[in-house]
Amino acid sequence: MISNEKEKDLQQPQILSIDDDYSIIRHFIDGDKSAFQVLVKRHKEKVRNIIYITMNNSALVDDIAQDVFITVYRNLKHFRFESQFTTWLYRITVNRCKDYLRKMNVRKIFSPIEDGYEVSEYSTPVENNDVSRIVMDAISKLPTKLRMPLILKDIEGFSYQEISETLNCEMGTVKSRIFRGREKLKEILQPLEKELMN
Amino acid sequence: MKKDLQNLELLSAYLDNELTQSEKAEVEKLLVSSLEMQKKLEDLKKVKQLGNNVKRIPESPYFETRLMASIEGQKNESSRIKRWMPAAALAIVTIVIMVVMKFNPGLIDKMWEDQKVAVAGFYKENLQPVLLAANLTNEDVFNFAFNNELPLDNTRKKYLLLGYDDSGKEFFEIRSSDHKVKRESYNEFISAMNLDPGQKKTVDSIIGSYSKALEGQLLVNDKNTIAINPNLWNYRKAIFADLLVASEKLNKIKFDRIVPAGITNAEKVVVVNTLEKLKNTSGDQYIFVTPDSIFAGTYEFNSELFEKEMKELDKQIKFNEEKIKQFTINIRYDSSFMNFADDDTKHSFRIIVDSNICRVDIPEHQIPEIPIPEMATIEPLIEQATNNIHFYAYKIPKIEKSESGIKIEYYNDDSVYSYVVDYDMLNMDSIASANSGTDLYNLSKFKPVKPFDDTMLIKYQFDRDYYHRYYSDDEFKKQMEELQKELQQLSEEMKNQSIKVHTEVTKSRKK
Repeated sequence: MISNEKEKDLQQPQILSIDDDYSIIRHFIDGDKSAFQVLVKRHKEKVRNIIYITMNNSALVDDIAQDVFITVYRNLKHFRFESQFTTWLYRITVNRCKDYLRKMNVRKIFSPIEDGYEVSEYSTPVENNDVSRIVMDAISKLPTKLRMPLILKDIEGFSYQEISETLNCEMGTVKSRIFRGREKLKEILQPLEKELMN
Repeated sequence: MKKDLQNLELLSAYLDNELTQSEKAEVEKLLVSSLEMQKKLEDLKKVKQLGNNVKRIPESPYFETRLMASIEGQKNESSRIKRWMPAAALAIVTIVIMVVMKFNPGLIDKMWEDQKVAVAGFYKENLQPVLLAANLTNEDVFNFAFNNELPLDNTRKKYLLLGYDDSGKEFFEIRSSDHKVKRESYNEFISAMNLDPGQKKTVDSIIGSYSKALEGQLLVNDKNTIAINPNLWNYRKAIFADLLVASEKLNKIKFDRIVPAGITNAEKVVVVNTLEKLKNTSGDQYIFVTPDSIFAGTYEFNSELFEKEMKELDKQIKFNEEKIKQFTINIRYDSSFMNFADDDTKHSFRIIVDSNICRVDIPEHQIPEIPIPEMATIEPLIEQATNNIHFYAYKIPKIEKSESGIKIEYYNDDSVYSYVVDYDMLNMDSIASANSGTDLYNLSKFKPVKPFDDTMLIKYQFDRDYYHRYYSDDEFKKQMEELQKELQQLSEEMKNQSIKVHTEVTKSRKK
């Protein structure tokens, strides 16, 4: 068992270092199952948020997040300590989101547009004045390959290096996609500029 | 155009502070020189800042709880599957067995048979003739022919007794020596036949000639197995018949007493032929009596090979000056004694067991595989001779019971006494005379010809309890004397009362 003091320390998310995650994972590998809960506590909100913005659907967040952490739980024993835990965690998160989006797109082809919670670029225009809602809806209209780097950079504050590792692509590609994402987002938000300005 | 796009991408990266120093310097140079680039930077900055306006999803306080519950649930799911694994495996095995049995229905029977063969094989090991194991003497062989019993080991503690039940079916008993009929049969026979030592030698040689023939008929081993060749019953009759034929030649007068009708030439031929057939037949069917089963099976006893082996063994023993390991047949029977009772009764035995005796009734077909029809013709001769030898040699009275009365014949000192007691008229005198004349108390010394044959006791007209109560000689004599006095008194009283009393006592001498 990790001592309460240690747990308290670990729960202080202000400065997270590689060592912090690594030591927790080692506890878990050594048989301390409660270490996993500590790990979840530390990273769940970031994971949930990435999912929330990517999917633009709060109802799906916890399901996908659970899916992500169960995958982590099953594979944590095989963690090789060669990269940051978060890189691995967010890659799993992004991939899960991509999987869900793919499924939703397939379902969209065979379902009426108004069916359910799906939000797409063809969905009804935003009716409320909530900037957050407007921006999220706009982001959700971005193609996935532009959406993911933009979210990780402009909302989650990742570095290009981190984005490159998470999305498993070149730095140049990340740079290009972020620019193109911004350009596209601006284009989407153009008609709503007045509302945004207000 | 491409250059413009590259510059714009650099501008975006400049905004994110992701450029090298040289790239940064290049971009700043462009910004100084280009209003368009400055405007573009402003636009990108606005878009980037939009991200700051995006609200984060509210925290979920129950997320970990639900997550851990979900993980535990999945673990239980897998452990539930693991828990059912044995049942699933069993089901699969059952299905496999069912399939195998469907296409190979005789499998279990075969396995059972194999098992039986294996068990039987164990008990069949190292079987050797009882003749050798028990070191049989001429007396033993004669006893076998005459009294149907053979010792099973050197200690003479266990005996095999052959017999026939009321319906004529063969049975055998293995009994302890406590229940053996203790008789010096051979010597009694010699004396009954009044044979001199020379004649006795002749009889000895006849008996000796059967030792070899008997060799393979009864086998024993150190695993307490007794292998009985059903031919043993025929052997007994044949040896007995041959001894009768021989004794006729040795002492015709005494023989006529035993077999009044004599032996015809035809019967003599049958005896010779039967013996010849028996000696030349090596039946390989045996009844195996083992400590945990009784079963019929085949066993090939090769007397020549055995003899060879024994000679070799003898040499070794002499050479090594070792003693032959003696063994004792020790079969303890209890109620759990089981036999391989197949559904088909032809392979089963009826077994009656108590603490001292094990009796096995043999299905008719088990006995002689060898057809000896002639045997039937000499059977009455054997029966008559047996009764008469018992009568003359062992002084066992002949008692004939009819609807009207009882006739008792008793032999003593070459005289035959005959008494008739009528039921119709109470013949007190005859009873009284019989008691005084026949020395009836001596009957208590005689035991039935067939041990445990209750019919003999009934023939004696002795109630079992009565018999046992007066078993003690002194008490019996006393009681009989008292009875005699009472009867004489009663007889006197009856005479006085003019009751007619019929008395018929005959006393004859036979030569």
